[in-house]
Amino acid sequence: MKPNTVKGQLDALILATLDAGPAHGYAVGQLLRDRSDGAFDLPEGTIYPALHRLERDGLLASDWSLEAGRRRRVYRLTRTGKNALGARRSEWSAFAGAVQAVLG
Amino acid sequence: MTWTQQLADELGRRGVSARRRATILLEIEDHIACEPASEQRLGDPRELAAEFADELGTQAARGAVQWVFGALALTAGALAVSQLAIGSGGGYPGFDNGYSVALAIPAILLMFVAPQVALVAGSLALLRSLRRRRAPILPQAEIDLLRRRAWVGAGAGLACAIGLELYVIDFLAVMHTTWIVLVGALSATAIVAICAAGAHLRATGRVIVGASGPSGDIFDDLPLLGFLRGRPWLLCAIVAGGVGVLMAVAEWHAESSLSEGLQRGAFEGVAAAVGFLALGRAIGARSDDAGGHPVAD
Repeated sequence: MKPNTVKGQLDALILATLDAGPAHGYAVGQLLRDRSDGAFDLPEGTIYPALHRLERDGLLASDWSLEAGRRRRVYRLTRTGKNALGARRSEWSAFAGAVQAVLG
Repeated sequence: MTWTQQLADELGRRGVSARRRATILLEIEDHIACEPASEQRLGDPRELAAEFADELGTQAARGAVQWVFGALALTAGALAVSQLAIGSGGGYPGFDNGYSVALAIPAILLMFVAPQVALVAGSLALLRSLRRRRAPILPQAEIDLLRRRAWVGAGAGLACAIGLELYVIDFLAVMHTTWIVLVGALSATAIVAICAAGAHLRATGRVIVGASGPSGDIFDDLPLLGFLRGRPWLLCAIVAGGVGVLMAVAEWHAESSLSEGLQRGAFEGVAAAVGFLALGRAIGARSDDAGGHPVAD
């Protein structure tokens, strides 16, 4: 899949990934790749600006923890993020249904 | 040079603050530690740094504009209190009853003219920052326009607050102590707030945004004026004429004197035209481009 196609939906994909529970950046990238069977093969660094943006927008919150002697930033969905994810899911269902109806 | 060092250098080159750089690098180092030799899968460090800088620069510029507007609102409050409370402070003293006319005239001019410039520039800056609040990245040209509007607003707001402080000093011996203390303290607070907002605005300008695109102009912010796009002199005439007529009518009503109303209206109209000529291009109000550069919401 073209990186730009994925990038347009990256925020929603990250929110959906974190809906399962808190995770750090590397784990978010792995989950995205695993759940899409490798279709979402973005440069992994792309995830970090998106995580920071979502946190600035109040959709995610983060905490620092200590893991094997190094600091790790773990992200979790906020209540606003959950609401936004619900809205994105509805939008996507409507959009995908309409595209499917046209493409056949 | 390692991948992480390249990223650190590139973030520094793009003006990302040391604190923010440290946070980003900690996360990236953790990522690499999870899967050694995975650096190449992170992408090009230059592109990643650019993405961070573009988003941070955009967000910082919008935030700084809102701080400036907050400081301008405080200044407007100080000015409003000074006028509303003037009756209980002893009434209008007359410009030549203070320490010196040389102090009173600049103070009064600053108090009348600067707030209008601050209102226009500050409102346009805030309007653009709110209208484009959902855009993760703005073009550098648009950020420059936002910042110019904020600088003009902050400069005019500072001039107004200084004018108010000069007015207080000039009439120290004439006005009641309560008015002097209240208005003096409020205008001093406004000066401090505007200086702090200006320092913040200056600091946020260090981040280099690489995104290209048009800045847009006043016609993108106020689509009702779209018919004037490419006709800056007609816009200038309408603004100056409108302000002049409005002030003439207001003064005529307040002073029950048509001649005073006309004098005040003529002064305000000329001031608006001069302001438009001097600052119109800086705040994106004076564009000779008939086609314009529409900026999407």
